[in-house]
Amino acid sequence: MTIDATMVGRSYAAAESYQVGREKIREFADAIGDPNPAYRGADAVAPPTFAFMLGSRALEQLLSDEELGLRLDRIVHGAQKFSYTRPIKAGDDIAATATITTVRKAGDVEVIMYETALTTVDGEPIATSTSTISHNRAGA
Amino acid sequence: MKTVEAGFELPPLTVTFRREDLVRYAGASGDFNPIHWSDRMAGALGLPGVIAHGMLTMATAVRVVTDWLDDPADLVEYGVRFTKPVVVPDDDKGASVTFSAKADKVADGLAEFDITAIAGDEKVLGRARAVVRVS
Repeated sequence: MTIDATMVGRSYAAAESYQVGREKIREFADAIGDPNPAYRGADAVAPPTFAFMLGSRALEQLLSDEELGLRLDRIVHGAQKFSYTRPIKAGDDIAATATITTVRKAGDVEVIMYETALTTVDGEPIATSTSTISHNRAGA
Repeated sequence: MKTVEAGFELPPLTVTFRREDLVRYAGASGDFNPIHWSDRMAGALGLPGVIAHGMLTMATAVRVVTDWLDDPADLVEYGVRFTKPVVVPDDDKGASVTFSAKADKVADGLAEFDITAIAGDEKVLGRARAVVRVS
């Protein structure tokens, strides 16, 4: 199967919520080499791009939609944007839903934009992540 | 909260990415795509070698802004385009990227910064923009 513009609007909810832990925030801050004290301690908030990880379970659902026929090893991340309502904190339980917003085709390459809404499991808005990916079907 | 005028430039930041950093980011982020740790797999996809995770470059670029903010929670919007891969050789030198940012619009309690990321002579991010709350 293949992706096309008729699939715009399809939504994929993460199978499980993501429980944000203080030590995971610290591990992530260490991995990006960021010593900012705001990312450490009892009142730690997460670095801005931590939000991308919170959307990964919704992306897994999108990638496993066989009608789209996408393969992770054929995907290149082209652009990424975040809008923040409030910072992500240790203790947050985050739900993610990814929705396909645009599909453009150029030969073997499909450029797909999807938007991931991040909220608490109680529905409080946290952030929106907008991703543009290129999927190359050449030789597939 | 910070006060800022259009034209204000933030102190630049130079960061060196080595293979070890990519392995650490892979583990912390869960992104184990082999193009970020295997020259063989990167080469099979036509890349000159292992490349840094775009999300690692993106995470580092915004530090120019969040290092300056009193509170990183004042960041309200941040976006980039990944225009060129950052090739990270398997040596002690690694790959250095220099990040800088300039406020180009200040209005209604928000300042917009244009962020530049340069590795060698090439811009590795395009349209890198951060919007922050200011007083």
